[in-house]
Amino acid sequence: MAFISSGYNPAKPMENRITDIGPKHFEQFLPEMCKKNFGKWLYHEILEPGVLMHKAESGDEIYTVRFGGARLMTITHIREICAIADKYCGGKLRFTTRNNIELMVETKDAALKLKAYLNAQKFDGGSQKFPVGGTGAGVTNIVHTQGWVHCHTPATDASGTVKATMDAVFEEFTNMRLPAPVRISMACCLNMCGAVHCSDIAILGIHRKPPMIDHKILDNICEVPLAVAACPTGAIRPTKIEIDGEKYNTVAVKNERCMFCGNCYTMCPAMPLADAQGDGIALMVGGKISNRISHPAFSRVVVPFIPNEPPRWPTMTATVKKILDVYAADAKKYERLGDWACRIGWERFFEKCDLEFTEHLIDDFRDPAYYTWRQTSQFKF
Amino acid sequence: MALPDDAKEQILKMLEDKGKMKSKFYFNDFTKIFEDGKPREVKKILTTLVNEGVLIFWSSGSTTMYGLAGAGKQSAGEGEA
Amino acid sequence: MAKHKTPLLDQLESGPWPSFVSDIKQECDSRAKNVNGIDYQVAADCPDDLLGVLELSYKDGETHWKHGGIVGVFGYGGGVIGRYCDQPEMFPSVAHFHTVRVNQPSGKYYSTEFLGSLCDLWELRGSGLTNMHGATGDIVFIGTTTPQLEEIFYELTHNLETDLGGSGSNLRTPATCLGMSRCEYACYDTQGLCHDMTNEYQDELHRPAFPYKFKFKFDGCPNGCVASIARSDFSVMGTWRDSLRIDQKAVAAYVAGEIAPNAGAHSGRDWGKFDIQAEVIDLCPSQCLSYEGGKLLIDAKECVRCMHCINTMPQACRIGEDTGAMIFCGAKSPILDGAQMGSLLMPFVVVDEGNEYREIKDVVEGIWDFWMEEGKNRERLGETMKRMGFQAIIKAAGVPFDVRQVQEPRTNPYIFWKAEDVTGGWDNDIADYRKRHKL
Repeated sequence: MAFISSGYNPAKPMENRITDIGPKHFEQFLPEMCKKNFGKWLYHEILEPGVLMHKAESGDEIYTVRFGGARLMTITHIREICAIADKYCGGKLRFTTRNNIELMVETKDAALKLKAYLNAQKFDGGSQKFPVGGTGAGVTNIVHTQGWVHCHTPATDASGTVKATMDAVFEEFTNMRLPAPVRISMACCLNMCGAVHCSDIAILGIHRKPPMIDHKILDNICEVPLAVAACPTGAIRPTKIEIDGEKYNTVAVKNERCMFCGNCYTMCPAMPLADAQGDGIALMVGGKISNRISHPAFSRVVVPFIPNEPPRWPTMTATVKKILDVYAADAKKYERLGDWACRIGWERFFEKCDLEFTEHLIDDFRDPAYYTWRQTSQFKF
Repeated sequence: MALPDDAKEQILKMLEDKGKMKSKFYFNDFTKIFEDGKPREVKKILTTLVNEGVLIFWSSGSTTMYGLAGAGKQSAGEGEA
Repeated sequence: MAKHKTPLLDQLESGPWPSFVSDIKQECDSRAKNVNGIDYQVAADCPDDLLGVLELSYKDGETHWKHGGIVGVFGYGGGVIGRYCDQPEMFPSVAHFHTVRVNQPSGKYYSTEFLGSLCDLWELRGSGLTNMHGATGDIVFIGTTTPQLEEIFYELTHNLETDLGGSGSNLRTPATCLGMSRCEYACYDTQGLCHDMTNEYQDELHRPAFPYKFKFKFDGCPNGCVASIARSDFSVMGTWRDSLRIDQKAVAAYVAGEIAPNAGAHSGRDWGKFDIQAEVIDLCPSQCLSYEGGKLLIDAKECVRCMHCINTMPQACRIGEDTGAMIFCGAKSPILDGAQMGSLLMPFVVVDEGNEYREIKDVVEGIWDFWMEEGKNRERLGETMKRMGFQAIIKAAGVPFDVRQVQEPRTNPYIFWKAEDVTGGWDNDIADYRKRHKL
């Protein structure tokens, strides 16, 4: 391998440097139809799962075919999508907020042919490359984080749990038969860089053991004041200890105050907290972000812990599927999962979903906890 | 309110004085040096120091700190020294 | 021939959903064959080693990545996340494997030409693995070495006219829904505002000077497709002040079953004949609709613009014409003090490209000035609001107090009165008091 220079001169980093230019302007990437009818759309229809038609005031119609993708995607895969976009839709495409991909064509016939083509493409391993769906009252793609693929504080994997879950609920991705949309999200630790806290169903990696402390090397690779300051609950303090007659500057952790966030490990590699026995998944349900009918809402923890079971996390996916199936059978049309649970009562939700209610599900974290305790005589036996 | 003429020197002095304890500082630690300094004025000086190669950033991913280039235990730890 | 045996990951190749494992294996093959004779600037077999280290994590249930905080491009405090493998001898090709965040275009539309150029760059100088897209909205390049960072940045800015995204205590890469480009619900040009604000605040995006991260998100309507009310410190969400528009002919067509309700969103199950009373009128949260004499009537003043009737009958109901946006601030995920939803700061603001969105920018800048002075280290805006009171932010933003900013008035009378609120101030004269009251 010979180093290929881009033109950058390391001796003079500021020479010819271009900074602060932001992204390219979106207008050059819009399909002609979108440019022409910008701000002049009249209505839309979902013709069948994964196929949308948008009608403009001008009478123009644009047909969108939506398909799912693993968010972790190679350039080989992206190039294949680009080749399809070149062939079918003039070289323009779009990604959605939930990791779906949209191709836009000008006739219904072209859209249905494209859908058939996309659904027929498979990886060598057997899975579909471009499954069409993710529209209307169904399950759409899962937004998620890095997990074991590329993060230093995950309590589980993200891509694998998502693949396993989407396989389990795949029929709801390609159908529109649920009472309302169901948004599933995944974050691999409680820092939630994936912000899953307002999802109908949230899959959340959690640690349950405080950090280990590598006393002998801590002071060599970490700065004690920074490790102390990293802790959001103030559980870390500087200390000195003696091991085999040697004195070490190090830290002590008040374990009962640890919230298992891993911030100390980010600041100090001598404080790892990943642990196969301690780590696993919590499930949260009933959040939403839309203002439709009811207010936006946070997801609530309904399963405090499920052990990691790679590669397919069968207990986790079965629990998600069970909640989804009970909701699908029991909720009224238009009722989001959380609205349904609130209507029937959470006591009934646990009963119907066959979930155990444990002490860990009663909120005891700071101020908001009080507002979740029951303060009325109205409840169900 | 404008910052004093020797603002840059004051910043570097603070980094050296406290450098024995830790090598990285939050933005707020710098604004505290100057009683009347507006954060945006302080930022301008820090940016100049970064562009001169005197200061570097350290990021946890979610937060960012400033430190003297080459200082601290992390540089060696990350094999990027 | 695979470099590492991956029996656990191989089990993720079956099943209908696209397998990231199969996809990464494609990339391994592509780089091994190298039909275009590319002089890969990072190890050609790094996708193989990534599968190897991931398999190891699947085996022992723990991550094998370490964080690195120093790497980046000169002068920028964000956009690159350092990553090192903790088993570099076993997986040397991913020993240093940093993430680069690239700012996506507003609304995530692409030409294949541009995407192709990004792929070419990332094939030469990185692993060929990406996230399309990261949780905040960036294009994420996963896996390159330190010497390649400046080269990637140089090529991005010089040849692709694209900048890095944000990380750390910066303004994060703003994100928007697709807005007016293909949605009839868009109450303002979300893409235009997002692009303009991203460029206006490049310094805030690249050079951290905030107590913590700060996110802008732009939703075109209260359906909230980019989750701005839940995920952004500063959420701009479209709305309107006049009446939504009703096409009575289309209403009749829905009632007669000639148009599929919900734009077909519920068509996978037989929910029975469309019942406008049960499905629209009765579900209206402010009970402002009625259906009388074959007509849908609205008491527009009482409408809370929840979008339900519009979503249910998109050909009959349209957003109003006096459109603009609401601003919510302070949303965040639970870390640290519990999750916070965005709180309504401004019930309505005109989104005016003509004055370069000055009114919205004044509000943002007022909030930043306040937060940069008062916010504690690693405190999100929502937490500063909780600590110092919503009033403080409303004042800093320079917007009027409004009953719409609260769900209900306070339930305690412990008002922090100030001297200037009270006639005569607080400087009472005790001697004067004693004239009226004996000890």
